[in-house]
Amino acid sequence: MKQLIATRLFQLVAVVLIVGSISFALMYFLPGDPALRIAAGRYGPDMMDNAISDMVRAELGLDQPVLFRFLAWMGDLIRFDLGHSLVSGAPVLHEIALQLGYTLWLAALAFVLALVIGPLVGAIAGLFPGSIFDRVSLLVAVALRAVPPFVLAIVFMMVFGVTLRWFPTAGFGGWSNMVLPSLTLALGLAAMSSRVMRDAMSEVAASPYFAHGRYKGLSDRTVVMRHGIRNASLPVVTYLGLQMVYLVEGVVVVESIFAFPGIGHALVHAIIARDVPMVQGTALAMGGLFVLLNIIVDLMCLRLDPRLGRRAA
Amino acid sequence: MNTASLTHLPVELRDGAKPAFWQPVRIVGAVILLALLAFAFVGPLVIGADPLFQDYLAVLVAPGDPAHWLGTDHFGRSMAARLVHGAQLSFVMAFVTALSAAVPGIALGILAASRGGWVERGLVALSDIVLALPGLLLVLLLMAFAPGKFGPLYLGLALYLWVEFFRVARIETARVLALPCCEATRLLGFGPFYVFGRIVLPALAGPMMTLFAFAMGSAIIAVSTLSAIHVGLRPPTPELGAMIVELMPYYSEAPLQVLMPAGVIFLLVLSLQLLAGRKS
Amino acid sequence: MSSEIRLENLSIKTRDGTVLVRDVSFAFGSGNPICLIGETGSGKSLVMHAVMGSLPDELICEGAILLDGENLLALSAAARRALWGRKFSLLPQEPSRSLDPTMTIRSQVAEIYPALHRASWNDAKTRAMKDLQSVGLDHAARSFPFELSGGMAQRASIAMAHAAGSMVLLADEPTKGLDRALCDVVAGMINHEVSLGRAVMVITHDLELAMQTTGMIGVMRNGVLVELGKADSVLHAPVDAYTKSLVAALPSQWEASSQNTHEPGKPVIAARSLGKSFGERALFKELDLTLRSGEITVALGPSGCGKSTLGNILLGLIKADFGTVERPGNLPAFKYQKIYQDPPAAFIPHQTLGDAFGDLRKRHGIDGASINRIFDDLGLEPGLLARRPDAISGGELQRFAIARALLLKPAMLFADEATSRLDPVSQKRVIDLLVAQVRERNLALMLVTHDHVLANKIADHVIDLSSLSSNGEQRTAA
Repeated sequence: MKQLIATRLFQLVAVVLIVGSISFALMYFLPGDPALRIAAGRYGPDMMDNAISDMVRAELGLDQPVLFRFLAWMGDLIRFDLGHSLVSGAPVLHEIALQLGYTLWLAALAFVLALVIGPLVGAIAGLFPGSIFDRVSLLVAVALRAVPPFVLAIVFMMVFGVTLRWFPTAGFGGWSNMVLPSLTLALGLAAMSSRVMRDAMSEVAASPYFAHGRYKGLSDRTVVMRHGIRNASLPVVTYLGLQMVYLVEGVVVVESIFAFPGIGHALVHAIIARDVPMVQGTALAMGGLFVLLNIIVDLMCLRLDPRLGRRAA
Repeated sequence: MNTASLTHLPVELRDGAKPAFWQPVRIVGAVILLALLAFAFVGPLVIGADPLFQDYLAVLVAPGDPAHWLGTDHFGRSMAARLVHGAQLSFVMAFVTALSAAVPGIALGILAASRGGWVERGLVALSDIVLALPGLLLVLLLMAFAPGKFGPLYLGLALYLWVEFFRVARIETARVLALPCCEATRLLGFGPFYVFGRIVLPALAGPMMTLFAFAMGSAIIAVSTLSAIHVGLRPPTPELGAMIVELMPYYSEAPLQVLMPAGVIFLLVLSLQLLAGRKS
Repeated sequence: MSSEIRLENLSIKTRDGTVLVRDVSFAFGSGNPICLIGETGSGKSLVMHAVMGSLPDELICEGAILLDGENLLALSAAARRALWGRKFSLLPQEPSRSLDPTMTIRSQVAEIYPALHRASWNDAKTRAMKDLQSVGLDHAARSFPFELSGGMAQRASIAMAHAAGSMVLLADEPTKGLDRALCDVVAGMINHEVSLGRAVMVITHDLELAMQTTGMIGVMRNGVLVELGKADSVLHAPVDAYTKSLVAALPSQWEASSQNTHEPGKPVIAARSLGKSFGERALFKELDLTLRSGEITVALGPSGCGKSTLGNILLGLIKADFGTVERPGNLPAFKYQKIYQDPPAAFIPHQTLGDAFGDLRKRHGIDGASINRIFDDLGLEPGLLARRPDAISGGELQRFAIARALLLKPAMLFADEATSRLDPVSQKRVIDLLVAQVRERNLALMLVTHDHVLANKIADHVIDLSSLSSNGEQRTAA
């Protein structure tokens, strides 16, 4: 348990360091006047005039050593003083708080959907290896894994949005806007986890303890329910850790394609507009989301596998 | 239910033979990849058309036209020429990126496993730091320095992809070095070069080939994805992801033109993943 | 309630007609257990699975298996499945792998009651505790399998058989992977089940386990039952040639090897006040030890006592915490060689033996004649050189390992459990060869084993590490 906390704490610190230092570098090394940019970031572009930028220049002193300026920058970051967007002028925290809600819903919906589809398909395929169901699900999974999420998103948008007109293709006006983005992410995730579950299930079904359950006189149903599902879930849950990379990356991509007003979309926009405070804020939020998702997976592992809990205790 | 039929089979009846490297799946992957490579590298010689040449008299021509056998896009550019150059670009980018990730990754992995101590701890901590963020996020952040440029795209991808080579090479090297056969070989008077050449490197070759194919697949996905969300390479560069997004507004009139670059990406990634075999 | 199982001319074939087991007949029942002995591939586990009714569909049984007069082979697969738990229980090999790793053992015992006896879950839990009590595991009821030792896991699976209440107990290699001391405990548990009136059948390759059972012994080889009789008569007056070689290969039946009659040899390794701990646990301390040429020193003790560690310290592969190791004469490092427990692991997996010996020749400038001579001495077929290590039997590969070491004209050999993975006949052959080479070439041999009998047959000196961990004494067999 201590080990887990330490790992995730280390990860969180690394996220802050990476995002903070890249943003710092962006602020100072992008073409244009950094003082102007910093002043706009602090007080919002509407408040900008030469007097303020001169004040900033004097205060920060661009003649100060880089290390000093970097520490000041990180200090602001740690105090959650993320400044203002260079484009809209609104406080970054305020913007993020709004967008994070959308993104959390999207990620949660995709996660839950993937957890329903993937392991279920995988478990059935794993109990009947070599069956038609197994082969078809293998084919679909292999194909889906070779399709980048943005392509899947576009195909869905074209088919269900443009041609069939079942769901809206862009923006956010209600729950129907969540369907296509979350389905895109969920299918990608499920394609991977279904195969892990399938292999785990067939491995469990071939394990000595599964056979022994039958020798004890338990019915197939009982053996699958009591000794199959939980054990086969272990590798899947462990694998979820890797899948979280896919989920967070996918959120960025899918939000951008569907113009979904979440953090990922905002991040991409900020990068194109070189809105450094927003880049930093949204990247921090995505990184934080990533750490949070990993913690959820850790807790699921602990809950499922007694070996982890006992060893830690 | 005949699931556990093999379980009942006593160990002595089970076949313990190792599967061969060239399994059917790998062969299918290799064949698709070779076909794509021919398409990408021989294609330009056959087609000869400039992927940037615009012909406003022949806009969105459907595939099958005698003058434009794969049709044209919304600027009247030859789809065939654009696809061929796009495939070439994707493959070369992916290959160079994977190579730039593999060489330091493997070298550092072997170094960490054989030296141990603070060298290993430092490198592992470094790799953990890189892994703290999802790869795409890291590349995106670096892209902010120069959106649309090759440099940060290539650098960001290599910076992220080396970690997987490092991790696997380190674990595999450490595992192999701990085998009794390494100890036995040293006791028989053979030096470290013999141990590396005859035991460690052959053991690394398989997993590293697999990783390389996966890394190329990831790079292809990443480059096209970033271009599709307007952060990566930009029009008019014939990049497959950018092409899809460019053509999206014309989907109703020319659906095939949108699907063709998507198909090339799909086949490229699929062939690499099949060639990689199982990730394990 | 007593039960009897009678096999009449049981044959097992594959669908394409290959005969795996031919005409096996025997009977066992309450108070009259049977122990089937045989190597891997002898067909003993096929026979056991035929009795259980758990052979894969690809295999066909002929003959009859009668349970109290009813022919089980006439029943449908479903009807036979219905007997699992109710009539037949199986003690699995390597029980720690046969228990669900994510469930407490109490739950794994308790779940049998609702399934077989229509009991409520509350009732089941109480009764499961009684079953665990009957095997002395009540204190570990809430443990998970990974928290149990091999012997405890074996007891847990016996508790499951008790819960099922079946009268026929089939034990599949119950001592596989266990220490000698634990094997005795398992034998005791099985004998206890016999005394409770169960019909017990044990299959094993472990002759020592068979010696401790009381009923019949059947010896299987290549799918045929070559010998069947009362345990005493099979062990003391074997009739079949294979059984004879099997019995003769038991260390207790060996002739004591000729003791070293020379003058005490010159020391090749001298260790002074060695000490080594793993974490809190001290393996040994203040250990003095001298290995002399032409002498056999055996380090004895249960697994984990530090006997292999001691050998590795002498070879310089591990550092001791305290003490010194001296090598008089300043010989090069390769004059000190090691023979490993698991022969395939000691060879480079993808290299043919021919290449391995070729590289060794080049490295040390060995002439071909001496290679041939050593292969001759060790009874090795040069034709095998074209193969890779995994295509050669363990016994042969171990002899190649010895040949490889001897080619370097070593001063000392350290054999780390070098025969514990071999079948008894191969074990005897490898030990005989080792002893002969030590005497002939005047080597110092240090042999690590957990087998007291073997140790006392061949050793000039015995170091018992189980008695050494606490005090610093060195017990020496005269």
